[in-house]
Amino acid sequence: MKIRRKDTPSQTFSFPSVDVSRRSVLFGAAAIGGAAALAACGGGGSDKGSSVSTAGVNSAQADGLNAIFGPGGKEGGVDVKLAAGMMLAVTGQGSFYGKVMGNGAKLAASQIKAAKGFNYDISIADHKSGDVPAALSGVRQLVTQDKIRVLQTSFGAPSEAIVPLIAQNKLLSFNGGGSSPGQAGKEYLWQTRMIFGDDPAPGGLAWIAKTYPDAKKLAIIGTQENGVAGAKTIGPEAWKKLTGGTVVANEQHDVGLTDFSSLVARVKAAAPDAILTFTYGDDVGYLVKAIREAKIEVPVMGIEFTEQGAKIAGAAFDTFNFATDFYSPDNENPWNKIFVEGHQAAYGEPPEYYGANYYEQVFFYWELVRRVIAAGGDPTDTDALQKALIDNPVFKSLYGGDAQTAGEVTFNPEDHTISKPMGVFKVVGGKPEKVADIVKVSSTADPATALV
Amino acid sequence: MDLNLLAQLTVSGVVVGSSYALLGVSFGIIYATTKIFHLAHAVSFAAAAYGAVWASSSLGLGFALALVVGLVVGLAFGVMIELVFYRPMRNKDATLLSIFLVSLGISVAFPNLLQLAFGPDNRTLERPGNPIYELGPVTITRVDVIGTVLIWLLIAAVTTFIVKTRFGRSITAMRTNPVMAEAVGIDSKRVFTVVFVIGSALVAVASLIQTSKGVATPNMGLQPTLIGFIAAFLGGIGSLWGAALGGLALGLLSSWSALWLQVDYGPVVVFGVMFLILLVRPQGLLGKAAV
Repeated sequence: MKIRRKDTPSQTFSFPSVDVSRRSVLFGAAAIGGAAALAACGGGGSDKGSSVSTAGVNSAQADGLNAIFGPGGKEGGVDVKLAAGMMLAVTGQGSFYGKVMGNGAKLAASQIKAAKGFNYDISIADHKSGDVPAALSGVRQLVTQDKIRVLQTSFGAPSEAIVPLIAQNKLLSFNGGGSSPGQAGKEYLWQTRMIFGDDPAPGGLAWIAKTYPDAKKLAIIGTQENGVAGAKTIGPEAWKKLTGGTVVANEQHDVGLTDFSSLVARVKAAAPDAILTFTYGDDVGYLVKAIREAKIEVPVMGIEFTEQGAKIAGAAFDTFNFATDFYSPDNENPWNKIFVEGHQAAYGEPPEYYGANYYEQVFFYWELVRRVIAAGGDPTDTDALQKALIDNPVFKSLYGGDAQTAGEVTFNPEDHTISKPMGVFKVVGGKPEKVADIVKVSSTADPATALV
Repeated sequence: MDLNLLAQLTVSGVVVGSSYALLGVSFGIIYATTKIFHLAHAVSFAAAAYGAVWASSSLGLGFALALVVGLVVGLAFGVMIELVFYRPMRNKDATLLSIFLVSLGISVAFPNLLQLAFGPDNRTLERPGNPIYELGPVTITRVDVIGTVLIWLLIAAVTTFIVKTRFGRSITAMRTNPVMAEAVGIDSKRVFTVVFVIGSALVAVASLIQTSKGVATPNMGLQPTLIGFIAAFLGGIGSLWGAALGGLALGLLSSWSALWLQVDYGPVVVFGVMFLILLVRPQGLLGKAAV
């Protein structure tokens, strides 16, 4: 006989022969269903933004945009509606990045609409901070349900995974958040940031070699996801050419690591003169903090700065340098001023790197729509849009420029990468300050020439 | 072998392992007594961190008071889950599987609630400086020293409470033979509530130590909960010292594996050794074999 009490679980429970009542199953199903609903409510699932609001965009901003990009109305695509998808980290560890990317694109859509430009109709899918199956199903949903024609994607692994879907559905796509060599040259997919880690690494190392001429032993820390070529070949080869020195440690870690104590102990044992790291996102904050807590006092060169990482590292981040195509809200370029003003008004804070990249992408689309309209084509035909990009790969940019003119960026029609101004930065009081300009160099060039 | 590296890895392993030990004890005491696979333990972990951050940033409380608020919030969430969800389900004869599904649902939903309330940004706790001590080739921070000492004091206090006090023996009785325990007049509801108080308080402390040297994020709770579960099973369900030893072993193994391997192989080593241990001793390191 089995005795069961009201307030204790059945002690006869065993997994293979579970006694499941209908009511119990309903309890559990309700809880899971509720959780799933809440997860979607919390930003997961899809977020349909069919009606672009122009609230908060003042006429001065719209006039400023028209002065930079050209008039609105028919030639600005006021009658054109472009169904756009965004594949973002809405939930999970990287949800901060999904938020700022989405904010950037939504702001661009509302500013363009206020400038009587095209209607950029955004639907958002969640790849849950890098989950490939979620990315695949999310893009399929965007294609079949939301009928998207263009896609703003993010992160490295999920973006590489959806390459066939992008090509199959001719989705003219931009990635400004996880560019990798595996995405280069793929049909309809274009990178809007420098190749993550790989492009700025020679410049960053050249700056170390110049600033710390006695540094000969380099430790490299990276992940298996992004910046792999930089860690395995580009970095070591550039260091050898620059200093004649050696790589004394080359450590990899899983993305999302928060305890770097073991890794840093291994690096410390190798006694490097400098450290180059391809670690990114929050991880770099934990890494730099661990390096300094281990009393390793050599220069550390990274390839990314985020406010989130700075929060984690605290004061230790003031000993950190990084080389990248870094966005600065302080840039005086007139388009950037409109962006910063709009962002501050819409979200109560200045924009940062990823928000800027995804804002800028929407304006790339607008420029392409304008060009196709001017040529008498169909601005919703992604072949026509891509042809317009290839025919003239130069676009206005938030990066570079001066107080009178917007900056410029240039796509490479061969490998679908982009050239943006890059620099080496130091961190002062948690804020980046540029210390040198750098450029991309080929693998056969002298890496010292990367330092301008 | 590089002895300096070994010394540093050992210290790091003890620091990390102590944290795992606390997680193991906190998960183990709840599971062993109630048999609930309390995945929503993650809620207490995250709630404690956000409670402290909120107390610091919104109420302007100092560091110590903010930690107290965090502890109370984490504890309150753990007890609330028992009273609002688990107990009514048990009263309706719900199976452990359905209780687990509810726990899973709560653990999935809560990070999204946190994200809605506080946003996805990392949140930091205003905290005093964290000096670094150098002992020869080894470095360790003040928070790590205080945290590690505090953890073992807490584990010792809880195990002493369980062994030496009348109520502690009620918990042991409820864990080993719940039917007989109720038959001799032990109030199972009270015991379960106290177990959730202890387990939730311990996981809140683990969370606050972590937040004192890092940040609070909405998804911060699940991984520590799983570590607690692994530590508890590795050490042996029903033995609090076993759960603590399991956690310490996990931390040391993970750290020592860096003597020979890149750190991304650490989990392979840890789970490989854990598999071997459980193959030889299915009841865990200090657990008693089923009769």
